[in-house]
Amino acid sequence: MNEFVEAKVDFKWQEPKKTYDVIIIGGGGHGLAAAYFLATRHGITDVAVLERKYIGGGNSGRNTTVIRANYGIPESVRFYKRSVDLYFQLEEETDRWIMHKQKGLVWLAHSEAHVRQEKARAELNTALGAETSYVTPSEIKEICPQIDITGSGQWPVLGGSYHPAGSTARHDRVNWALAEGAMKRGAHIHQRTEVQDLIIENNQIKGVVTNHGKMYANKVLCAVGGHVTSIGDMAGLRLPIRTHPLQAYVTNHYAQSFGPIISSTSLYFYISQTARGEILLGAEIDKQPSYSYRSGYHFLQTCSFRAMTMFPFLRDLRINRQWGGVCDMSADYSPIMSKTEIDGFYITSGWGTWGFKAIPASGESMAALIATDETPDLIAPFSLDRFKRDRTMADRGSAGTH
Amino acid sequence: MRLIVDGRPIPFEPDDSLLVAMLRNGIHPTGGGCLGPDGDEPHCLTTVDGVSYIRASQIKARPGMIVTTNPIEGYPPLPEDDRQRGAKLVQHHHCDVLVIGQGESGQAEAAAARAADKTVITVDVQNGQEAIGIYPGILVVVRTDDAMLHIHPHEVVVATGAAEILPVCPGNELKGLYTGRMVAQLHGKGFDLGRIVHVGTAPDGVESTAAVGELLRFEPKGVSPVETQNLTSPRSEKTQNLASLPSKKTQNLASLQGDVGAVIMLENGVEVRHECDTVALGLGLIPRNRLYRMGRDWNVRVVGEAARKSDIPPCPKTGTLCPCSSVTVDDMQAVWDRGFHEMELVKRATLAGTGPCQGVACLPHIRAFLQDRGKKLQPPFTARPLARQQTIGEIAAGAYHFSTPRTALDAEHRQLGAQMERISGWWRPWNYGDVAAEYWAVREAVGIGDVSTLGKLIVTGADATEALERVYPTKVATLRPGRSRYVLMLNEAGYIMDDGLISCVSPTHYILSTSSSGVNGFERWLRDWFDTWQLDVRLMNITQTLGAISVSGPFATDLLARAGFEQPLRFMRHREGTVASVNCRVYRLSFTGEIGYELHHPADQSAHLWRELMLLGRDLGIKPFGIEAQSNLRLDKGHIIVGQDTDYDSTPRRVHHEWAVKLEKPYFLGQRAVKRTNKIPLDRQLIGLTMETDGDAPGEGAVILHGDDIAGYVTSTAYSRVLGKAVMLGWAKLVDGALPTDFTINGRPATRTDVPFYDKEGNRARA
Ligand SMILES: Cc1cc2nc3c(=O)[nH]c(=O)nc-3n(C[C@H](O)[C@H](O)[C@H](O)COP(=O)(O)OP(=O)(O)OC[C@H]3O[C@@H](n4cnc5c(N)ncnc54)[C@H](O)[C@@H]3O)c2cc1C
Repeated sequence: MNEFVEAKVDFKWQEPKKTYDVIIIGGGGHGLAAAYFLATRHGITDVAVLERKYIGGGNSGRNTTVIRANYGIPESVRFYKRSVDLYFQLEEETDRWIMHKQKGLVWLAHSEAHVRQEKARAELNTALGAETSYVTPSEIKEICPQIDITGSGQWPVLGGSYHPAGSTARHDRVNWALAEGAMKRGAHIHQRTEVQDLIIENNQIKGVVTNHGKMYANKVLCAVGGHVTSIGDMAGLRLPIRTHPLQAYVTNHYAQSFGPIISSTSLYFYISQTARGEILLGAEIDKQPSYSYRSGYHFLQTCSFRAMTMFPFLRDLRINRQWGGVCDMSADYSPIMSKTEIDGFYITSGWGTWGFKAIPASGESMAALIATDETPDLIAPFSLDRFKRDRTMADRGSAGTH
Repeated sequence: MRLIVDGRPIPFEPDDSLLVAMLRNGIHPTGGGCLGPDGDEPHCLTTVDGVSYIRASQIKARPGMIVTTNPIEGYPPLPEDDRQRGAKLVQHHHCDVLVIGQGESGQAEAAAARAADKTVITVDVQNGQEAIGIYPGILVVVRTDDAMLHIHPHEVVVATGAAEILPVCPGNELKGLYTGRMVAQLHGKGFDLGRIVHVGTAPDGVESTAAVGELLRFEPKGVSPVETQNLTSPRSEKTQNLASLPSKKTQNLASLQGDVGAVIMLENGVEVRHECDTVALGLGLIPRNRLYRMGRDWNVRVVGEAARKSDIPPCPKTGTLCPCSSVTVDDMQAVWDRGFHEMELVKRATLAGTGPCQGVACLPHIRAFLQDRGKKLQPPFTARPLARQQTIGEIAAGAYHFSTPRTALDAEHRQLGAQMERISGWWRPWNYGDVAAEYWAVREAVGIGDVSTLGKLIVTGADATEALERVYPTKVATLRPGRSRYVLMLNEAGYIMDDGLISCVSPTHYILSTSSSGVNGFERWLRDWFDTWQLDVRLMNITQTLGAISVSGPFATDLLARAGFEQPLRFMRHREGTVASVNCRVYRLSFTGEIGYELHHPADQSAHLWRELMLLGRDLGIKPFGIEAQSNLRLDKGHIIVGQDTDYDSTPRRVHHEWAVKLEKPYFLGQRAVKRTNKIPLDRQLIGLTMETDGDAPGEGAVILHGDDIAGYVTSTAYSRVLGKAVMLGWAKLVDGALPTDFTINGRPATRTDVPFYDKEGNRARA
């Protein structure tokens, strides 16, 4: 037995019912968290999560698990800080090992312009409560001895920003802890159940049509990650979302020795070592919108090359596996957690390339919204109608990053 | 011939694989476990010349090779050194048909394709060509010792054969367990394998004794039957026993070590013991079809053994099922009992199938396990690249850094002592050592700067005016030949993408300029729309063809006159002319706030023009100015830099640029959105701020407070030498529909100040 075999989580699957108080479409982290917080915070357990594949099979089981709070605008920092805090306590609350680990996160600057950008990041975030400091090349070398601070003589590091709260957790275990917690309290989760249409009468949601027939509920939450526009279509909602693929890959296992999470914005890659010893590498989204989960070679080749520029030791590591996910990118690079024009129909979306860290806070807030029909302050700025109201939330701290 | 294993020299024979060489010397790469000849199983993994996870059966033994066996517990260390190795080359090949695998069926496919007059490429690991993935394209990547082959075929035939199923039962990590094919190979090499017992299909051409019935376990040599029996009692009892067993080692039945001494079979309900030195396992075959499964949406076929149905072994009862991640059947059962029933969930909960063999060892057994528990036979795990692992260095072969171009004046800048920086995707002079002097030269005399990096596009054609009318929020039709105008570029949402200049040469010929970093995106955007509209218009990107020098300062006009450009040009006009004998298009404009010209000219003349200007301006006090000075100069004027001062959702009014948007026009991209949002009360705006300081300025990103509330943050900032205070641009929220005047930044008072900060009437630029 390896130490990572899941030893506690115990799922109690149920037969589907015809009617629920709440139906949640999508068994990713966000859907499961909403169910979990509905059950634990509001005692609402007549809930079904419908997942077309298996739980956590979407982006929530494919991401690179970076958790951080240093974003670019006050509303975002406040929200992500809440999520980071919830992550710190999630293990204790659920009594499940989610392998949460604080690692510290460094953004590298390779030019004068980026030095100013990282200084700005540090200044702004620290002021907003997400401690981030500017660090010199020699400090970076101390944080991460494996780095070639000269960038192979081509991309020297001139400085960077350091966010000590940067952490990771095991994605699957987060999803499962939340799923189990919801199920234990009576919520249903139905896998292999795909929502194919919505039932709407007089502008009020009434239920969903699935591959196993109709199910009814007066409240429905859409939490389907990169597929949100197709569900939006069913409701006649045009969403300010484009879906872009994002890829990542891991090497085989090596002894633990790479501590932090390091990102280079000039070279477009980031790197960390997983609890199992794999080196995990990721980069930016594919420019072309698409729903394809397919892996590309060009990404693997260029990301490897760029990462090696900063970390020459990577040269001899063997790549084990690559994969991709599809990201729901909103027009202002901020999430959408909101009621909609359809009564009883809610969405959590726009999670793009950065929504794993948001799972607990989004779940908590969406549960409160669904339970009370009052939008919690924390997410009020992230409503869907902000685009219509010209109250968009452009956030450079999130665009295109983990 | 010798190679070194764990510090010990060992002899080997020509044509030995590393695995065979190690086995000749009694060394098992991972200390135990069933071995095959094709590298399907993880037990052959070893570290060779510093590279871990090399399949010993897949490389030839070479003299002097340095091999280390992997640690039994834990993983190999991350390499510490960064020895440079020769980079691999990439070779591209095109063909009609690529056949992967040159067994019987692969050869037949290749022959048939050739007979049909098709160009054929064949690859096979036996010849050192390892196909590692099929990608969209179709692109098939093949690793060889010399190069990475990128093969672009019309059709792929996967003929990679089948792998032998590995045993799952107690004792399956002993030494002396081989697949049937491995036994045949070792026999062929003259190995003395002692007494061979086979389970399932007998090995080809090797004498062996059959052990029939159900495979229960393997027992090591020298351990009494009683001892092992204890360890292999049925599950329920064992779970109890385990509670009292202290070490993880003993819990793991599979970690029995040593040489196999016996196979225990269940024959007609009776345990039968077969003493042996070697076990040959013929447990069935699973197709090696991962490459096919990666590419089956395209023109990819699978043939021969690779196309066979997978044999499904009997449901495993106990023992290690996934050797890569040390997952036992009990682990599987434990997660199954707690509701992990989906194949993917079982895999993720145990990590079975996620190790270096990518599930070859465990997959058939997991399928059997799930089928036995009432699930219908599950499809294999999703096939993801890489089919066989490669080093990051090999994968990186052929990649290069996106180039950071240099302008034609690069050598001039360096000669003048410039600090060169990567800025907006180009190497540009940040400063020439004395920013203050550069700044004052422009304010009081004349300076020249390299602006060759500005995007330059030519739009021509009968519909040029109409096309640009639809693109820009300015009235293009009213722009007369010889005139230029500042323009914003908006996307459909009415958000600012870039800014620049439009210059009319004639109604069928325009020159557009963009920011340095914005040109490629803007060009793509224009092409998209021109194509959509089907207008008679052509677009050419001449950014790299033309150099551009900015001449700026009170003496700028004099300097141009000295250089032979005599007829004065009025503000926001342009025309062709000769400057220092170079044919230029000269634009009169201003970014710095002083009289300014841009000289666009063939890039091969840049150095000449630059030197002449420097020479002619010497007694005027001319200096070259870098980006740092330019940025300070423009900030005095409050000019925005798109990207730095704007955000993804900046509308014209948010940055006080309503004047650049003519809403009454019939149509332009983003017009509908701007009209709609304009009706909504504003929430925040980019504002000018000034602060009394002693020569310093708050940093970029500094938080702007109004009272105790966060109003926004600073986007551009500098100490203005000419004004003697800090000047800034930054975002501020409106309070009760109005912009406050007084703010605090870093504990110091700052005042909202209308831009331009300097020379509000703009007289200097127009002089
Ligand atoms: C490679 C990669 C790396 C990433 N790295 C990070 C990172 O480091 N840090 C970070 O914070 N974020 C990261 N992200 C982003 C993060 O993974 C996502 O934002 C987050 O997981 C979104 O969760 P979700 O629950 O909204 O969507 P998902 O997890 O995708 O869940 C949506 C679910 O809905 C299901 N579904 C879809 N349509 C239907 C339907 N019609 N009926 C029923 N079910 C349906 C899907 O099967 C899926 O399971 C990364 C993403 C990727 C792809």
